[in-house]
Order: sequence, then C-alpha cells, then structure tokens
Amino acid sequence: MKKRLWFAGIFLGLFLLITGPFQQGFGAEPIVIGVPTFLTHVDGKESLNTLMMAVDEINAKGGVKVGAEKKLFKVEALDIRDGAPGVPVPEALLGIEKIILEKKPAALLVGPFRSEALMASMDLIAKYKVPMIGSIAMIPASEDKIRQDPVKYKYIFRNCLNAKYLVGNLIGVMTFINKEFGFNKVFVMHQDVAWARATATGVIKAYFEKAGWKVLGEEAYPTGASDFSSGLMKAQSGGAQVILPIFDMASSAVLVKQWNSMKVPALMAGFISPLAGPGAWKTFDQKIGGAINVNFELGSAISSKKAPKSIAFEEAFEKKYKRPLEGGHGEAPSYDAVYILKEAIERAGTLNADAVSAALEKTDYHGVMGRTRFDNGHQAIFGMDPKEAAVVAAFQWTDKGGRTVVFPESIAEGKIQLPAGLKTAK
Amino acid sequence: MITGTLIYALINSVILILMALGFNLTFGISGVSNFAYGALYVLSAFVTWILLKTAGLPYALAAGLSILITTLIGGLMYRFILMRVRGQALSEVISTFGIGLAILELFRYLGFVGFEYSLPVFIDRSFHIAGAQVDAQRILLVLVSLFLILCLWLFVHYTSIGLAFRGIAQDERTAMTFGIDSDRMAMWSVAMGAGLAAIAATVIMPLGTISVEEGYEVLLNALAVCIIGGLGSSGGVILAGLVVGFAQRFTDTYIGPHWTMIVSLVAILLVLVIKPSGFFGKQKELEERI
Repeated sequence: MKKRLWFAGIFLGLFLLITGPFQQGFGAEPIVIGVPTFLTHVDGKESLNTLMMAVDEINAKGGVKVGAEKKLFKVEALDIRDGAPGVPVPEALLGIEKIILEKKPAALLVGPFRSEALMASMDLIAKYKVPMIGSIAMIPASEDKIRQDPVKYKYIFRNCLNAKYLVGNLIGVMTFINKEFGFNKVFVMHQDVAWARATATGVIKAYFEKAGWKVLGEEAYPTGASDFSSGLMKAQSGGAQVILPIFDMASSAVLVKQWNSMKVPALMAGFISPLAGPGAWKTFDQKIGGAINVNFELGSAISSKKAPKSIAFEEAFEKKYKRPLEGGHGEAPSYDAVYILKEAIERAGTLNADAVSAALEKTDYHGVMGRTRFDNGHQAIFGMDPKEAAVVAAFQWTDKGGRTVVFPESIAEGKIQLPAGLKTAK
Repeated sequence: MITGTLIYALINSVILILMALGFNLTFGISGVSNFAYGALYVLSAFVTWILLKTAGLPYALAAGLSILITTLIGGLMYRFILMRVRGQALSEVISTFGIGLAILELFRYLGFVGFEYSLPVFIDRSFHIAGAQVDAQRILLVLVSLFLILCLWLFVHYTSIGLAFRGIAQDERTAMTFGIDSDRMAMWSVAMGAGLAAIAATVIMPLGTISVEEGYEVLLNALAVCIIGGLGSSGGVILAGLVVGFAQRFTDTYIGPHWTMIVSLVAILLVLVIKPSGFFGKQKELEERI
C-alpha cells in the first residue's frame, strides 16, 4: 500500500512538474511576432536583439494575458535584405509575404529597413491584416497614406523617429548651438542618398535660411566616399564655425577622423551613423573626441542619467549580451514596441487584428524612449521631454572616449565643449 | 586651398596606383585578368583584422601574416583553378570573377558587416605641409608606394624570377625554349599580384573602413587605371593613376564630390574611343593600325 502511495505521489509530482508551467501559458499556442527586416545591418541586428530581450522579459513573467488565458511570445525573424545594395524592393516584399503566410504572426515588429520597402509593403500588410509597429524606416509619406485611407492602413504604426522629427531635432541642436555660442556659419556635408539629401535640404530651408545663418557650402558625397579633405578645406577656408554631417554609410566616420587630424576649427554636429555606439571610440582610433552625434532615439546606444529607464535598458542589454549596445536607430523603439504590443493585446483581450490595431491607437506607454503616443498618421509623437513624448538624444564624444548627452535640455548631462582653436562668438 | 588640393590629389593618385599595381603585374606577365583582385584586397584586410582583434597579435605581425596568407591564396588559386583554363580569356574572367564573388559574399554571409571593421593607423600624427594639414598615414602611404615601385623595378631587372617574368611577358613561347616554366611563372605572377593587393590593403585600409563593397570598388578602380594606362604597362599605370587621381580631386573641389564617381568612367570611355590600347598598352596596337 505504502509502495502504491509512493508511486502515486511521484506520478502526481511529475504530472504537476510537467503540466504546471502550461497552466501559466506554456501550453497555449504562442503569440508569433514576425520580424522581417535587414538583419545584416547593425541597426537591424541590434533591433532584433533588443526585441528578443523584451520578449524574454515578458515570457519570464508569465507572458501576455489574452482574454482569460496567458500566452507566451515567440519570435520568427527573416532577413529581407532590403537595405543591401542591389536588392530590389519586390524581393523584400516576397520575404514579408513569406513570413506572414508561413509563420502566421499576430503582429510584425521592426519591419522594413528602407523606406521604399515600407511604402511598397503597406498594401501587402493591409491585405493580410497584420498589425505592424515599424521601428527603422523613416519616410513620413507612409503617414500621409494612412491619413488618406485610415480604414485600409489602420494596421500600420511607427514608433521610431521619422524624417520630419529628425529635421526638427537637428534644427533644435543648431538653435541650441546658436544660443550657447552665437555661431551662425555652417558647412553642410551629407551622403548623396534620398533621406540625407532631404534632411539637409529640410534643415537649410526650414532653419538656416530663416534664422540668418550663412551656409558656406553644401556637399553631397557618394556612398562609399572615404576622402573628405576637399570639403573640410573648404569649410576651414570659409571660416565655418559648425560642420553639419548627415551620413549612414560605414566610411563616414572617416570624415570625423580627417576633421580631427586636419585640426579644422569648427564644431562637428549632426548625424554620423558609425559614431552612435560606444565601440566607435576604439574602432576609429580614439580620433572622434569633440564630435556631436544625434542618436535617433533615447536608449538606442545612448542613455541619460536623467531618464532612469534608458539606464536600466542599457544595463540589462549589457548583462544579457555581455557587451554594450551599438547602433543609434531602432534599438530602443524595437524594445518598447514589444511592450506596446503586449499592452494593446491585453487591452483588446484578443489577437484579432482589428481589435489590436484599435488598442494600439490608444497607446500611452512610458518606456525607454520616453512617453509613446501615436498621432493620426500612426507616428509616435516626439518632443523634448521624455515625460511628455519620445525623445532623441544628442551627445558629444569627450576627449577621453566618454559620451555626454548635451541635447535636449531635459536629459542633458553636460554642456557642449568647443574644439581647440574655436572660440565662442558671443 | 590650391596647395592642399594638389597635395591630396597626389595622395589620391598614389592610392589608385597602389590599388592597380598587383592587377597590372598579373596581367602583364601571365595575361590573366584576375577579377578576384578586389576580393583578395578585402580578404587581406579582414584577415589582418581577425588576427589583430581576435587573435590579439601585434599589428605588424598580423599585417605581415595577412600578406603572406593572401599571397599563398593567390598562388593556390592559380595552381588549382586558373592553370586549367589559362589561355581561354573568357574562362579566366568567369572563374576569377566567380572566386571573387564567393570570397566577398562569404564574408557578408558570415556577418562581416558593420562599422566595427577598421584597422588602426601606423603612426598617429599629422603634419602641416604647405598650408595643409596631412596625417602621417597618408604620407607613409606615398613613401611605401614609391618604395614598392622601386623594389618591383629592381626585382624584374635583377633577379632570376624577375627576368623570367619579363621573358614570359615579352614572348612566352621563346621564353619556354630557354627552359622557363610558363605555368610556374604565371603562378608566381598571380601570387605576387595577390600579395600586392594585400600590401595595398594594409596601408590604405586604415584610412577608411573594411567592407565587402570595397572589393567591388577596388576592382573597378584597378580596372579603370589599367585600361587607361594600357593593360600590362607599369608606366601606363603610374601615368593613368596620376591623371585619374588629379581629375577626381579637382572635380571634388571645384565641381562637387558626387561627380567624382564618373571621372574614371568618362576617362575609360574617352580612352576606348581615342586609343583603345590605353596610354602605353600594346594589346590592340595592331588592330588600331589597321
């Protein structure tokens, strides 16, 4: 009898051990998150890593409450290579369609990398009715399309910075520099690609011309250019006080190295993608001290002591991946997007795409980037205070390899330091 | 401003010459158009990076080993692939291009994509020359190139392998009657071409970043300089490098940097229309006379 009781006890124990977790959501069908993006680019790769981090955190706490039951998140990623040279948009679309049809995702996160692929995929996503929160492609035209047909495109959201907000924030940085130092002579250097041209033109027309700045020159460099000496000599001979760079190509950090070795007495302030992460200091021979870089979202490889969630995010990433986060665009919004989706599913109480999209519209989430709410074009609202909106973070590389957040003022940790040979005009 | 432009134009020219030397040497001796040249350049840079960053070797040792490895790969490439198709120009082009694609795309597949792949400069200083600030790496690059050109000249004029190279380049059949092994010399020429690509990568790469795309760009630059100078002509490569290098830098300064891309393409078109054999090339002189 005792033996039987022992067996029964062991059997019951094993049964509870095996089935216990299932009662908390392990047994239920997981909620599939599709991640179709350009995974061999640092921003695509790191965005997937931060997204996985959020998924693991949520799953460790029991998952997502869908109505009465709890479900876990499961990630299905696919490299659609839409940012790689020579890869046509239709190929990227095939990838998105493949992940939708084969993996049956409840939502797509991160999404297309290039704006062209995002625009082309909108009809596909509307056709298959899959909610998507994009966190890399930045074209504002997608918002216009959503406003024109809000019923058809109601599934598409973006929680990263868009090109309009980028222009606005670069203007903010320039205004701040003008206010602090009285500088008003600028030389603009940018990559010869659509987004960089549009951003440069936007800042020149919307700010420099109206605010009385003297634009000494505007130079467009082909992708892959690695000698910026003539532009820098022009900036120097013209007496530029500020050089505004706008680049996302790998060789663009050479511009800062040359600026440093040629000792050009002008403040380098703008966006150079390779300078975004902490690894840039070693990668570029410790020759980037003094450069100011605008990372597209707070948390994307930059944190501020004044925004505790960004610090916690940075530390959690380092703990999980045993290295610092690199990449200045997409990482923080990809992480936040998982939580935004979780909350929307829980509010909707179902995985039904229409209900989840309706819940996403009502998002009011305080995350790594600050507060996320969507406007009527389903674009996350960016501002200057993380308590009110999502924010960018402009930081300056110090001469010892540190990074100090200098803009916006709500999260600034220090003042801008001028390079040797440049004095304030005030 | 003008002196600065001239200085940087000279440096740009030297970079182009250095990029093309290996391709030209291989073609001039063995007649093989090594379309894997750009891939070997990138391979060498990545090998240096791996030895330096992951194996933790000293920079000089990592660079030296990388040059040796790339030279060896060039030799093996000839011995096991090119030897079988040598003399069939189209097959040579297809096979070398295929090898180049395989090397470059393998690096992409393995994840060698990003901003972290760059090599440190040899000397971290800059100098003020005639009103322009120039960094030591660029000055070193010019000195290395001059030294390399001198070494190559001495090699082909005063060593037995160098003399055999010249013999094969002048008349392969006659050279063979003197006991010179044509295939062996061709293997040496492909290996040395690969080694020169590796040396070029070692001194040029610290100025930029290592990327897969660089392989295609280097091949295009080497081709442009060789076509304009005349395939197989060392003097032609130097002259073409100077012409294209100065044209690019002056276009950059006085017209706009985005126009520099088309300078070498326009130069190729002009040369092909006016003198298809290039400045000093012998390849098509007979047809041109006819």
